[in-house]
Amino acid sequence: MNNLYLLVTIAGNRVALPAVTIESVVEIDDIERVPLVANHIAGLFALRSRVLTVIDSQAAVGQGAFTWTGYAQAVIVNCEGHGYALLVENVDDVVEPEAPITPCRAAMSPGWERVAQGTIEIGGAVLLVVDPAALVAGTTDAMAA
Amino acid sequence: MDDLLVDFIAETRETLEALTGEIVAWEAAPADRTRLDSIFRFVHTVKGSCGFLNLPRLEKLSHAAEDVLADCRADRRQPDQMLVTAVLAVIDRIAELTNALESGEGVSDHDDAALVAALAPGGGKQQPETDVAATVVQTSTPRSASRSIRLPIDLLDRMMAGVSDMVLARNDLSRRLRETSSDPAVEGAFERLSLCIGEMRDSITRTRMARIENLFSALPRMVRDLANELGKHVILEIDGGDVELDREMIEMIRDPLTHIVRNAIDHGIEPPAERAARGKPLSGKLRVSARQAGNQIAIEVSDDGGGIDSDRIVEKAVASGVLSAEKAAAMSAHGRLQLIFAAGLSTAQKITSISGRGVGMDVVRANVERIGGVVDVESRLGQGVRLSMKVPLTLTIIPALTISAGQHQFAIPRSAIEELVRAGSESAQLGELGGAKIVNIRGRRLPVVMLASFLKIDSQCTENQTTLVVLKPAGGDQYALAVDAIHDHEELVVRPAAPALMAVGVYAGTTLPDNSHPMLLLDPAGIAAVAGISRQSDEQEEADQPQDALLDEHVQTLLFHDLDGVERAIPLGLVERIEEVSASLVSFVAGRMRLTQEDRIVPLMSCGDLPQSEKYRVLRVTDGEVGIAYAISDVIDIISMDPMCERALEPGLIAGVALVEGRPVEIIDGYWLFAHAHQESAAPARALVCLLASDDPWSKRVLAPLLRSGGYRVITADAEEAGQADVIIMCDDKPLSDDLAANAGSTPVVHLSSRVDAQGEDVVYRYDRDRLFETLRTTAERRRASR
Repeated sequence: MNNLYLLVTIAGNRVALPAVTIESVVEIDDIERVPLVANHIAGLFALRSRVLTVIDSQAAVGQGAFTWTGYAQAVIVNCEGHGYALLVENVDDVVEPEAPITPCRAAMSPGWERVAQGTIEIGGAVLLVVDPAALVAGTTDAMAA
Repeated sequence: MDDLLVDFIAETRETLEALTGEIVAWEAAPADRTRLDSIFRFVHTVKGSCGFLNLPRLEKLSHAAEDVLADCRADRRQPDQMLVTAVLAVIDRIAELTNALESGEGVSDHDDAALVAALAPGGGKQQPETDVAATVVQTSTPRSASRSIRLPIDLLDRMMAGVSDMVLARNDLSRRLRETSSDPAVEGAFERLSLCIGEMRDSITRTRMARIENLFSALPRMVRDLANELGKHVILEIDGGDVELDREMIEMIRDPLTHIVRNAIDHGIEPPAERAARGKPLSGKLRVSARQAGNQIAIEVSDDGGGIDSDRIVEKAVASGVLSAEKAAAMSAHGRLQLIFAAGLSTAQKITSISGRGVGMDVVRANVERIGGVVDVESRLGQGVRLSMKVPLTLTIIPALTISAGQHQFAIPRSAIEELVRAGSESAQLGELGGAKIVNIRGRRLPVVMLASFLKIDSQCTENQTTLVVLKPAGGDQYALAVDAIHDHEELVVRPAAPALMAVGVYAGTTLPDNSHPMLLLDPAGIAAVAGISRQSDEQEEADQPQDALLDEHVQTLLFHDLDGVERAIPLGLVERIEEVSASLVSFVAGRMRLTQEDRIVPLMSCGDLPQSEKYRVLRVTDGEVGIAYAISDVIDIISMDPMCERALEPGLIAGVALVEGRPVEIIDGYWLFAHAHQESAAPARALVCLLASDDPWSKRVLAPLLRSGGYRVITADAEEAGQADVIIMCDDKPLSDDLAANAGSTPVVHLSSRVDAQGEDVVYRYDRDRLFETLRTTAERRRASR
């Protein structure tokens, strides 16, 4: 379990989220927008009786706003006692990499740089491991004007 | 078993569990100051609790251990292995006794003295461990069943979440059933299920929420016992016991509150002799109150004792090295007072068994800060101390008003709301002042925050279509929040919002109403701060609102349910504010119900006798100079209506009746209300005495009450003081009895006639109220003048 990763698509990129941090994956069909908040906060979503804060993962990595089509998949994580739903474009699979996580040496855009924990290799492809807590924190320049 | 005792046992056991690690660590490193401190606090708390629970044996043991540990803390003694062993033996014995208390069996006390003796320097020759081992076997019989159990809070949380999910599923099902099914059997079954779920939700909610009363209920006994022990007289006042608080929160406040109250009695309130010398009442007053202030619960403990001598605290702090003399000199008065929260300081001149070893206030602060609260102290030397704790409201159920701006719905805590006014009406004119929006509400000029534009929300609502929510945030000034629509009053469970949301500064938390759309609770104080509303001075300019509003066709009128359930209305212009007051502020004094508030006493009127209740909702009505309070059941709405109404037949509380949306609604007569309130309160030194000549039912049941309400004293012909009557009232042409005629002498007589066309001097049609009073007045004046 400790070495499992969930493969998702954020801003057109396939990335891996450490499975230990993930509670569940749900489909979101209704977001209550919240005024005045940072760009990467998409709004609130009620998962049964819990109120989750929805994170626009695309905005959190500095790649512009998520295109909301009235429905999306979200990864539920818990961060410092609060529940968050991370909006992703696609949820792919849960995998176990052949090799342990290695530091990433490529030059990335600042948005990705901030959330990246390292890379793993899956079936010959190199994927970025993204820290959900960093997505929740958002970019510092993503604050609403 | 006594609830207090059950609490004590559970708490002691819990602390002991937590302390086990500390004890072991201390044994390994006896010089470790923090471990020493926490063990010291434990025995101190046990000792304090035992004092008022009357458990002398436990108290003796813990007191002995405390003495030794205090010596260690003061470096009077070095903790060595022997001492540690002896202290551990005492703590083991405390655990043992605590278990025994619950199961109700005895523990032999033959070696208590040995345990205490082992604490003395060089007294550790005994081997208490073996004794303890032996006695542990004794207590291994099964514990008797307890009436209360302790559950981990997260289990309750999970239950609560489960039930909430169930409620949402039920709502969903109910909607679907309405759409498809019309089978009564299915509906009946669903109704039953629905009822069960509702009841279950209520009880689960109750498991998490508790009235702060649960915490306060232990105080009277504790205060009494402490006061007795110290030979002081203390009157305890408790207010706000109905504030609801998360159970966990209550547990967290319990210790701090106990310490604060203990300190107040021990150090604050002076002995009777000293109080007498200072010219204070012999009994000290201790007031413990709780109230909800915005998104916090404020708990205050105030006494009228000697206050805190901040000079002495500073002296002590400097002497004990906590503070340098230079720093002390530069400290503000407030900062100096805050030193009482520093560890290891005590202002008591002598150590008592109640408190005063410098533990207490530092523990208080540590505990309160751990739950995100703050403690503050205010003191006036010679007059008393007020300690206030503010703890967050998280997970408290708060009454809120739901409103909307554009497509967004929000909740506003009802505690901050003063009134609702429709914008654009005569009584609330929006204007601009140097680009800033202001509103003039009955002469008060308030800054306005347009919620939609403030939150950058698209709204179709024009300024004059908005409703103004007049807010008075805790510790701030009034302002008006313009919202698009008002929806409902709801009781909401509020949870903290994610940090990114709280960072905005205008939200107090999230909540999930029954429609399962998440909603944000607005923070009225935060909005004021973010919107940059400057603090307003109290001296407001004279209102420039045209005064011809009275002549306007329509007046803003407040619709409400009166205490007797009848729908009534009162012109909004008369209403200063609507508020909830605690029943403790209402009293029957000086002949009528009165409401004490803000150092003032106002008459409290109501349509009938006040029902028994802990709280009353009152309208504060003012005629511009004097105010009165009028108790009501609840507010329905504010409407604009034609002031013309069908007049009541007799002047009284009800001026008349008007049609509101097709329903007849009684209109309160403001004039009568004020006249009545002050007529009664300003009763003349000697009321005019009317003698009723006849004792027919009409005189007794109709006339007499009318006269009394007019301020007259009414007596009958056979009364002893019949001769002192100022005026005699006769009905129709019934002749005076001989007795009366003899007594009457020159007393003027007013004749009441049942004929509308009654003629003649001093003859009045009996339903012509005005003329009756006029005649009585002039007659009586003539009579007085001639005396």
